[in-house]
Amino acid sequence: MAGMGVVTLAAGALMSPDRAWANLLLASFYLLGLGLAGMVFVAIHYVTGAGWPTAFRRVPEAMSGVLPIVALTFLLVLIVSPQLYPWFGATHHEANGSAWFRELWLSPAFFIARSLLYLFVWTGLSYAIIRHSRRQDEDGDVSHTRKNARLSAGFLVAFGVTFWLASFDWIMSLEPHWYSTVFGVYHFAGLFLSGLAMITIVAIWLERMGPLRSVLTEEHLHDLGKLLFAFSTFWMYIWFCQFMLIWYANIPEESVYFVQRLEGFWEPLFLLNLLLNWAVPFLVLLHVPAKRSPKLLLTVCWVILVGRWVDLYLMIFPPLVGETPAFGIWEVGVMVGAAGLFFLSLFRGLRQARAVPVRDPYLEESLSYHN
Amino acid sequence: MSRRTLVTFFHHEDDVLGATRALRERGLRIADVYAPYAVHGLDKAMGLTPSKLPWVCFLLGLLGAALKVWFEFWTTAQDWPINVGGKPWNSLPAFVPVTFEVMVLFAGVSTVIAFFAVSRLGPTRKAVLADPAVTDNHFILVIEETDATFDPEKVHQLLRQFRVIRVEERVESEQEVR
Repeated sequence: MAGMGVVTLAAGALMSPDRAWANLLLASFYLLGLGLAGMVFVAIHYVTGAGWPTAFRRVPEAMSGVLPIVALTFLLVLIVSPQLYPWFGATHHEANGSAWFRELWLSPAFFIARSLLYLFVWTGLSYAIIRHSRRQDEDGDVSHTRKNARLSAGFLVAFGVTFWLASFDWIMSLEPHWYSTVFGVYHFAGLFLSGLAMITIVAIWLERMGPLRSVLTEEHLHDLGKLLFAFSTFWMYIWFCQFMLIWYANIPEESVYFVQRLEGFWEPLFLLNLLLNWAVPFLVLLHVPAKRSPKLLLTVCWVILVGRWVDLYLMIFPPLVGETPAFGIWEVGVMVGAAGLFFLSLFRGLRQARAVPVRDPYLEESLSYHN
Repeated sequence: MSRRTLVTFFHHEDDVLGATRALRERGLRIADVYAPYAVHGLDKAMGLTPSKLPWVCFLLGLLGAALKVWFEFWTTAQDWPINVGGKPWNSLPAFVPVTFEVMVLFAGVSTVIAFFAVSRLGPTRKAVLADPAVTDNHFILVIEETDATFDPEKVHQLLRQFRVIRVEERVESEQEVR
């Protein structure tokens, strides 16, 4: 799969460069979301001292193994095709002098330096946290848990600032004259929702294939279902916050973003986004038995993962391809390649360590957990 | 009519859970379990049917939302149309926040009222405790003594397995219980 992605990307780079690179940007951001969400999930539970997810903690840990790959693919986009960003290398100066900050912020050197800093912070901290978690398997030292709680607190603060800025830098600056202050939160909602969906899918797979059999129970699924439900609704809430304020104020500078996405063939996609990310998960997961059924959860999770792609597609592509959405071999190929890379790194991460953190002090609580 | 009950005292949450499960599996009737705090898994151990309150919550939330949308449409578009910023009179996005709030209000308040009504809670209701110790550090399991299945010897043996600390036999008249 990864090979197919590389071939598509190479062919696309020659035949239809803009779309190929935009797809790579989309795929990088998608994988970044999954990797970071895994780490955020682990970090939140270390900080709050929650015991229930310990049984399947190796899944989100392994997910963050994709971060170094994302760093490479994203840098590839920046190096080969920075013209995706209309401001890159542009030398025009605005008549009034009020845009000096924007010009400084979006100068190529500063932009690349920032991007490198984000990627370095994320990869470094997640590496440190995972190393402690794996060492505990060997020596059973409780101090690893305490150290990880401290590291996780640092990670969450760093993540809050850097991811917020990264969503501004990497996605919002594709349209440098449009801005929305809630954009970072909106991206966090999408990131965590898609990450939870992936954690649930992989955990259910591992339960079926063996490593987590009789470890992952309905009770864990119930809680994952609750989180999916909550963050799906949170995503909708933040989406609407952004939409309603812009709709109400109706300032041309801001509303142009939605006008473009509500015209022609973009409108069905725009509505599909809400359907996949909110309406379906909300209505299905409202009922308690649905949250405890692996089959229904798997379906909902795939719907959410497709929804995340549509969400990112709607952010990245409209300024690029104009009035009609473009979907074809480049989109499919690059996403297949991304999926291949993701699962390669995921299963590599899962093989490197025991499927269950056997000496974690919270494991007992997690195994006998019930709602 | 009176009924005979066996009131048993436990020190630990796990013991009362285990005893409840074991007794129910042997076909004994559990009258009630009293605990100083909510014990996770007790509802399943007692074999209680799932609550129907979520349906009250869902349906009344839906009703609240529907009523509010209709009301907003009626006030801003029908009865007294107001032009706000050149927007259409029936601008749905503007209605959403208030509709959401009213939905939550209806769902929340009606669920509480339904709960009070179903469990007959009210200012005049007197608390019925199996024993005051339950407000302190004891867990109490009340078993009904029905002639067909109740075998004192076996029950006591079973209770001892779960480290029962005290057993009292009581005869209550129906009025005292309810």
